Amino acid sequence: MDNHKLLEVKELKKYYPVTGGLFSRHLGDVKAVDGVSLYINEGETLGLVGESGCGKSTLGRTILRLEEPTGGEIIYRGTSVTGLDKGELRELRREIQMIFQDPQSFLDPRMTVGQSIGEALLIHGVKDETERLQRVAEILERVGLEAQHALRYPHEFSSGQRQRIGIGRALILNPRLIIADEPVSALDVSIQAQILNLMLDLRDEFGLTYLFIAHDLSVIRYVSHRVAVMYLGKIVELAEKDEIFHNPLHPYTEALLSAIPTIGQKKKARILLPGSVPSSLEPPSGCRFHTRCHRVLPVCPQEGPPLKDNGHGHLVACHLRGVR
Amino acid sequence: MTDKVKAKSIVQKIGGFRILILILVAAVLGIILLLDVLVVEDSIFDPLVYLYIILGTLVILYGIYPLYRGRRLTGYYWERFRRNRLAVAGLAFILFLILLALIGPFFTADPTAVNFEEKNLPPLGFSIEESIYDMGKQEFVTRSITGTSQHLLGTDNKGRDMLAMIVSGTRVSLQVGLLATGIAVALGTLIGIISAYLGGKMDNILMRFTDVMMTFPFFLLLVFIVFIFGPNLAFIVLVIGLTGWTGTARLIRSETLSLRTREFIMASKALGASTGRIILAHLVPNVISLIVVIATLSIPGIILAEAALSFIGLGDPSVTSWGMVLRAGQQNLDTAWWVAVAPGVMLFFTVLAFNFMGDGLRDAFDPRSAV
Amino acid sequence: MAETILSVKNLKTYFFTSRGIVRAVDGIDFDLLKSECLCLVGESGCGKTVTALSILGLIDTPPGRIVGGEVYYDSVNLLTCPAERLRHIRGKEIAMVFQDAQSALNPVFTVGDQIVEQIKLHLGVGNREAREKMIRLLGEVGMPSPEKAADYHPHQLSGGMKQRAMIAMGLSCDPEVLIADEPTTAVDVTIKAQVLDLLQQLKETRQMSLLFITHELGVVSEIGDRMVVMYAGRLAETASVAELLGNPKHPYTVGLIKCLPDMTQTRDRLESIPGTVPSLIEPIGGCLFHPRCDRAMAICRQEKPYPVTVGEGHTVFCHLYSKAKG
Repeated sequence: MDNHKLLEVKELKKYYPVTGGLFSRHLGDVKAVDGVSLYINEGETLGLVGESGCGKSTLGRTILRLEEPTGGEIIYRGTSVTGLDKGELRELRREIQMIFQDPQSFLDPRMTVGQSIGEALLIHGVKDETERLQRVAEILERVGLEAQHALRYPHEFSSGQRQRIGIGRALILNPRLIIADEPVSALDVSIQAQILNLMLDLRDEFGLTYLFIAHDLSVIRYVSHRVAVMYLGKIVELAEKDEIFHNPLHPYTEALLSAIPTIGQKKKARILLPGSVPSSLEPPSGCRFHTRCHRVLPVCPQEGPPLKDNGHGHLVACHLRGVR
Repeated sequence: MTDKVKAKSIVQKIGGFRILILILVAAVLGIILLLDVLVVEDSIFDPLVYLYIILGTLVILYGIYPLYRGRRLTGYYWERFRRNRLAVAGLAFILFLILLALIGPFFTADPTAVNFEEKNLPPLGFSIEESIYDMGKQEFVTRSITGTSQHLLGTDNKGRDMLAMIVSGTRVSLQVGLLATGIAVALGTLIGIISAYLGGKMDNILMRFTDVMMTFPFFLLLVFIVFIFGPNLAFIVLVIGLTGWTGTARLIRSETLSLRTREFIMASKALGASTGRIILAHLVPNVISLIVVIATLSIPGIILAEAALSFIGLGDPSVTSWGMVLRAGQQNLDTAWWVAVAPGVMLFFTVLAFNFMGDGLRDAFDPRSAV
Repeated sequence: MAETILSVKNLKTYFFTSRGIVRAVDGIDFDLLKSECLCLVGESGCGKTVTALSILGLIDTPPGRIVGGEVYYDSVNLLTCPAERLRHIRGKEIAMVFQDAQSALNPVFTVGDQIVEQIKLHLGVGNREAREKMIRLLGEVGMPSPEKAADYHPHQLSGGMKQRAMIAMGLSCDPEVLIADEPTTAVDVTIKAQVLDLLQQLKETRQMSLLFITHELGVVSEIGDRMVVMYAGRLAETASVAELLGNPKHPYTVGLIKCLPDMTQTRDRLESIPGTVPSLIEPIGGCLFHPRCDRAMAICRQEKPYPVTVGEGHTVFCHLYSKAKG
């Protein structure tokens, strides 16, 4: 794996305006993604973890321009792609693809599986139907299904099979980067394992780069090289996988790790976070985590800590870890 | 690129060959209409024919054709529909009505033929006591009259054959039902989809306009038009159609809004699909099943509306509709009861049939309902 | 020896659909002891929720019907007792916390009102006393500012708070048995931890029995005393949690444990169980797991496995361990 940055985002922001009142006044913004900076090297898998409402799915969609960024920059292979027009964006879509979460809804129920997968080819200029059919058949077999499945409809498949179809659809254009938005969260454990294995096999075979979004830390640990932890629209910690899991520096990461129920560990000393995630409409002042932090300092409500390198590429945004 | 491939891509850009055909048909009809109005003396074509052709084309292109292309899916829906016995019975009855409307008139008498000799004859198998003043004997004599095979359903107070009138009424009801519903649903769908997809200000404007139309008293409008132009079936169809689209617009809009956020739409966008492609290839096919259900469930209301209009005398007197027969029969309900009962029974079963079928269709299309 | 408080014997619940008979629960037995936490474990479609609903007589009939078996609570067979008795037991003695807080709570009433209604119904006390008890309950389940929370409608509460409200509702009549259907599945990791902690605490302070339905083995490990593994409507294995997770015998259980991305070790590749759960309509003979089992034998295709004791309180339904093998 070379240290060649495939994707980089700088201070990426996505705000959703909230209007209200009689004249639809602008009341404020839901700051779903609030100044996120990270990069992914070619061939690596960056795990993005956080709880619901932290903005990780929004971040994934914004990188793909499925949502328009409110601010910041997206750089792909060294070129800025934040301001691309429609035509150039379509070309970009050959290189960056997405795998979705809910097998019940990411396939058009009125189209055959072959049409859903083949749509990618159709949009990108493969006009010859025979060629499309053949490539669809190849991809289906590659993801563990059969060529004849192309004629069937989504309702004829199980959740796991539908996710394979979703992966096939993302792969057929030979992308370099795949953003996987909670691809196994809706699947049973035994199927989850199948799909994770498939994704890793494909990674090796096609040299793929993944941005793997999930809330399950054990899954993240299994697939990632580096891990980023998100809270309320910001990255709070980013480091190599082993570093994060053995040496978490941010209190939120500590709490997340201690909260995971594991086999063989009964009633362990757990850090319980009080309350629940605050609203992104009015996030807490200063460090957004300070209202639930078990190690809060007086400075935390006043100043938001920047994401800084604590040594060896372990980034953390916390006043506890001042850069020495 | 070869010529064939070039042509294909142009066709694709404007939304597929179906839109092309639609435009062609509309153009041809438009030319014929112009010629008809300007050049020829008397209108050759009944305006209803134009409506038939346009709606028929829409149904074939967007209804029948997709069913044929997606045979496997159609088969799946049919299997689910089949399990609902009432719905299948409804469908059977409707097919019977269509048959009756199409070939019935060839086998029945003229519904407008008046014959006072044979007035108030009961249906075959029934007899009724009648009191007549016998001129010879200078007193009232009662005699019994029985139905004959010449008039299977009897005659009304002007001697018109009941069977012929019922058959004619079937034709009228179906015409009004299908055409007026077709217009209303087509209009409602267009407004609903545009409103939902454009969103924002346009959505607001269109929906407020819909609210206003919803409160519009179509009845008064009809009376007004009848007053000015005289009663005409084509007008009735148009008025009902142009005022009855509001419910459909709302339903289609909300369905489109909810579809817009479904992951498969996002997935299509992620692949690079244009807005046009998303609407035509994804939104429309997913909305069609709802359209079919709405249409099927709207037809009975529209048929009843036309019957009510005819009943109170606002209908087109040149066509015999069930409402008109009901009107004729209401005075003699105690003696010549069959005149009112026959159309009443037909209306009853027709409404039931469409409702059952509509329910069956809705259950068959809805993935969440376990059939 | 702890006493048995709930005993399920050969429970069979079928759904009669136009496409065939769905054998959602096909002959399962288990006992719930006093003050213990028994986990009902399995993947989607294995019949664990249907089991819980059957115990409380909440199966939609038609198309479902409990076609066989007995469920004994306090020497009363819940499946045959008069409706009046069942209604009394339901809510007061055996309470249920449902999976989806969103749809289980009535959006039109405040959380407080819903709990108070339960209390008044079952305990027959007045308004004021019921309200006091309700506030105490909300405090007990860790709801922040119980007096204020009581006046909120469900949509005004966060996911974790809704979950707590549901638990409070379940506890409102001091039941002997609490059936919790996947209470930690739809919530975030940190809330999951809070809810587990809460349930653990409640079990201890109230001497309550907990029937905990889940598919997450990690959760089972933390909160369960004993566990029952279900597959496609039938039992696969039962044992104490420590015994079963440390020494699994049934190939399905073994596979399930191996599937998990483990936090303690990193492996190169996840083991997975090939294939998918069979349809519950088309009956396949023998052991329902045999098409996916890497140790299937000829007999597995023909005969349904019977229970074999392989350890202290450890039962397996698998031909690999049948006594006939010697």
